[in-house]
Amino acid sequence: MWVRQLRSLSLNLQKMIGNDIVDLLQAAKDSDWQRKGFLDKLFTSEEQFLISSDIHPPLMVWLLWSMKESAYKINSRETKLRLFAPVKLVCNNLIIHDNKATGNVTYEGRLYYTESEISVNYIHTLAADVPEEIERAKVSIMDFHTDYKSSNPQSVSHHGRYLALAYL
Amino acid sequence: MATYVEEGNMPDELTEDTDFIKDLKINSANLVDIVLDTEEEFGIEIDNLSMERMLNVGAAIEIIELKLAENDR
Repeated sequence: MWVRQLRSLSLNLQKMIGNDIVDLLQAAKDSDWQRKGFLDKLFTSEEQFLISSDIHPPLMVWLLWSMKESAYKINSRETKLRLFAPVKLVCNNLIIHDNKATGNVTYEGRLYYTESEISVNYIHTLAADVPEEIERAKVSIMDFHTDYKSSNPQSVSHHGRYLALAYL
Repeated sequence: MATYVEEGNMPDELTEDTDFIKDLKINSANLVDIVLDTEEEFGIEIDNLSMERMLNVGAAIEIIELKLAENDR
């Protein structure tokens, strides 16, 4: 009996998504990514290499950041632990094609899948425990404030002008 | 620190329990600026392990005191 309960519990645990939006205008205003120490405290050396070799470094900064944030959101809900350990969230297997990017984030021995949308105004990343959940999830991005609570989103991200809601 | 707090979110009084993200609504990307500002202001180096728990005012004070004591040694 308890085995079945445990199994259904672990299945439920797997169904998690996290999302993160970066308003690129707001980010440019709030953060100086070229500030001494900034990149070292947030990114691994491999990630810093991706940033420095990109034709548009700030875009890579915020792409990697939103991958980390979206994965962290799932992890902190799963573990109920809050830590500010951005370098431990490691981005891997990043593939960028047109305005879409896919990749993985590992954190404390766990693997998360990410899919990002890169637009002129924002970068949005959706993360999940299993790739199928990314396909299944519905994302709604708005540039106005609305009372979303009754719609029961699983993940909410708000930055600058944007509100991003993710549903399963 | 008020630099990173949006207008209207700065309380009259900070306590040790004041949480940078939950209470002051500081964007998580700006947490690193608080860490860097603290390093510059106090002439200390905050390693990643200390930074992990620098989520509220109390933890920040504790880390600053610890690092200053290490500098004195």
